[in-house]
Amino acid sequence: MPAPTPQPTPSLTPTPGLSVLSCLSKPPSLDPGPIQPPSPSLSGSVSASPAQSQSTFAVAGTANVTDIFYYSPLALLELSPSCCITRASARFLSDWRLSADQCIGHQLHLFLEKQIHPSTSISQVHAVIDAIDDAISARAERTSKPINTNHEAACRARVLPVFNGHQLLAITLEWQERPTALIESELVKPGLSTDEAFRILVQALKDYAIFLLDTTGHIATWNTGAELLKGYTRDEIIGKHFSVFYGKDDLEAGKPDMELAICLREGRVEDEGWRYKKDGTRFWANVIITAVYKHGLHVGFGKVTRDLTERKASESRLITAYEESEKLKSDFLANMSHEIRTPMHGMLSACSLLLDTDLTVRQRDIANIMDESGKVLLQVINDILDYSKLASGSFSVTSDIVGVASIIASVVRGVQTTLHPAVHFELFLAPDLPKSVQGDPLRFRQIVQNLVGNAAKFTEKGSIRVKASLQAEDVDSYTVLTEVTDTGIGIPENSTAHLFTPFTQFDVTTTKRYKGTGLGLSISKSLSELMGGRIGYRPNQERHGSVFWFTARFKKIKSLGQIQDWKNQLASKDGSLLPAPNTEAVDLQAELAKVASTRTLLLVEDNVINQKVMLGILRSIGFRNVQLASNGAEAVNMVRAKPVGYDLVLMDINMPILDGHQASSRIRESGINIPIVAMTAYALKGDRERCLEYGMNDYIPKPVDKKYLIRTLAKWLLSKSDVRRSVGPGQLGPPELGLALLDKNRALLEKNLNKVQDPSSVVEVTNEEQKEQPGAESVSG
Amino acid sequence: MYRADEDYGYASMPDFGDHVDNGIFSQILEMDESEGERDFSEPLVTNFFEQAEETFVKMDRALNDKNLDELSSLGHFLKGSSSTLGFNKIRDSCQIIQQYGHKLSVDGTPEADDTICLEKIGEALKSVKVDTAELEKAMKKFFGQTD
Repeated sequence: MPAPTPQPTPSLTPTPGLSVLSCLSKPPSLDPGPIQPPSPSLSGSVSASPAQSQSTFAVAGTANVTDIFYYSPLALLELSPSCCITRASARFLSDWRLSADQCIGHQLHLFLEKQIHPSTSISQVHAVIDAIDDAISARAERTSKPINTNHEAACRARVLPVFNGHQLLAITLEWQERPTALIESELVKPGLSTDEAFRILVQALKDYAIFLLDTTGHIATWNTGAELLKGYTRDEIIGKHFSVFYGKDDLEAGKPDMELAICLREGRVEDEGWRYKKDGTRFWANVIITAVYKHGLHVGFGKVTRDLTERKASESRLITAYEESEKLKSDFLANMSHEIRTPMHGMLSACSLLLDTDLTVRQRDIANIMDESGKVLLQVINDILDYSKLASGSFSVTSDIVGVASIIASVVRGVQTTLHPAVHFELFLAPDLPKSVQGDPLRFRQIVQNLVGNAAKFTEKGSIRVKASLQAEDVDSYTVLTEVTDTGIGIPENSTAHLFTPFTQFDVTTTKRYKGTGLGLSISKSLSELMGGRIGYRPNQERHGSVFWFTARFKKIKSLGQIQDWKNQLASKDGSLLPAPNTEAVDLQAELAKVASTRTLLLVEDNVINQKVMLGILRSIGFRNVQLASNGAEAVNMVRAKPVGYDLVLMDINMPILDGHQASSRIRESGINIPIVAMTAYALKGDRERCLEYGMNDYIPKPVDKKYLIRTLAKWLLSKSDVRRSVGPGQLGPPELGLALLDKNRALLEKNLNKVQDPSSVVEVTNEEQKEQPGAESVSG
Repeated sequence: MYRADEDYGYASMPDFGDHVDNGIFSQILEMDESEGERDFSEPLVTNFFEQAEETFVKMDRALNDKNLDELSSLGHFLKGSSSTLGFNKIRDSCQIIQQYGHKLSVDGTPEADDTICLEKIGEALKSVKVDTAELEKAMKKFFGQTD
């Protein structure tokens, strides 16, 4: 008689050790051979029922229970109460691909441990044991969680505990293969490790196309997301190469293979780009390919694709909107800055006029503050204008000749005057520095000026070193490196990141101490980038201070060699003697000087050298209020802004933007009768007439002779009222008339002059006029 | 080398020969605060030579491009500053360049042939470079600069 332990539950313990013990403790007879009834068989034949069952319903002629069990169409295992396998159905053996020897007589958990798929967890076995325990305690049917088996199926066990009264006779396990719809057998075939939870997750995901490629890039698996995203069904796509998703350009560039190669090398590759669906439409995809290894062996690639079309579209909408608003802002700034600058000039001019008058000490202090603040404000406005132009992209770099060395030298010369006395300048120009190159001299100067100016501003003692060298050279360009090293206050480490950000100064206290917009460096950065260079900062290693550097690329000038040749030759002197200049000594200066301090002149001249000389001459005569305009348009604006603000305009004729003729015409068109004196070099016959034709009143030849200038100025400033009456906008007659008027005035003047001059000088004047204007009807003294 | 120019009363006016109109140039020198420190004239002259150098490069390019208009305007430009400083030889060459750039001969008669104009400009440019180099050297000496 078998004597199974009467207590139903404790016999089944998940602890392997105990189970083994309990199994071994059974008499051998309890573990019968294969396909035998659980008890020593009395009959071994058809009708016998187990003795202990005391079957009351056995009917003669019914099949042997053992056979019924064995041939049942179900995959059955019968366990002893101690969970030793006592019987197995044929279906079980065939499903699990086992022989009877491999299961009968084995402890269930040991058996299952051998049967589960290597990739799955041992806890699956415990789950089955737990289900058995549960079923026994409940004396009811239970179904275990599925386990993955060696024969690549997911099976769950229906546990049927068989009780006779309180005595547990046996436990029957009915193994059910779970429906396989959710199980990716393809996933398993390449031998990739998977977990069912992940498989379900991957399979069910609709927003991501997740699939595996084999080592050659052919598609091995396909999830719902992939089907939805790419439009191919699983059957259509399995086995195809993944390059089918790529566009023509990518294919020509060999991108698919390249991606796999990179992926193999680096383990992973990520790409964003257009991918194509089955119907030929494209979508913007984020693709991540990961190399998949199994036991160190490369088995394929995992590929995850996301559709970013919508995100990309909204991103680009955002960017467009942002750019649009930035541009509007910059345009607005650029326009406004211009509008602000004009009155600003007016204020500054008025202020400097005020400073030239007799003021008390206190008044002068206040006016100086106004003047200084005004200048700072103007600099701010100029910076903003530059910056907004740069930001709005309307800033262009012109192509001109750049004398790198001379620009740097001239900036250094200019800044030198503002230095603290304890600071000295060192200028290093590398010998291989090209003398002249092609680029934008103004912008180059602006950067140098900014960096050198900063260095001067922030350095109170020590030195400022400006070093220019040739960083690189190729067939048609030079890259020039300019470094400015100072021993100034330096820059705190935490501020270096924002140095080139607009509107930042590196700390608030310096803003108070050092005036500035915080735009200079950011403008310099943009400018150097426009010139194909870079800008940067590093601390001064040798001493406390800063090193700012920038590079700019310039085109080479092919004919430069020529210049040098000519320079070196210093060939023989040649040229004819020119007539001696007119240097008559006319002493109108004293008289003019009396009125000069109350007169304001506008000098319109584009050539800086001429500007300087004219300013120098005018100052030496006694004029303190000379405004400058560097082209006709500027002059017209200035005169229109202050129609009675100037007493006389000295107008160069040949100027960019708007020439002297046009400028004079416009001034006259505005109804302003201010005397305009043309200055033109080497006047040709007819030039003078033309000047008059355009509404100018007089004319002085260039180079401007001081004495001649004094006479002319005297004529127009000392007899001002007369002049204003004589030439008005309505009276612009033919040249003859203008000439006649001029001659009339001149005659008047000569008469006046005669009173203060000696006769010889008058002769000189006459001679010169005859010489300069041979065609004009000259007036005799 | 240095001689007192009694006619004009400029004690330290050097002789630059026919390069410089002494009257005009002395006017420039007069604007210096002192003769020891040529604070006005020296940077001005230095600036001029920079300007000249840059203009020559542009002229070379324009000549290469056969751009008569540009040559004329460059000629005019440098003529302006050279004559202001009294650098007559440079001025005269610039005048030639300006004239032929306008397709006019020096005396104002039309010169229709572009090739002749370019040739004349080429010659003038050559000599103006030589003159400029020579003058620059002399000026440096005058201002006591070292090369």
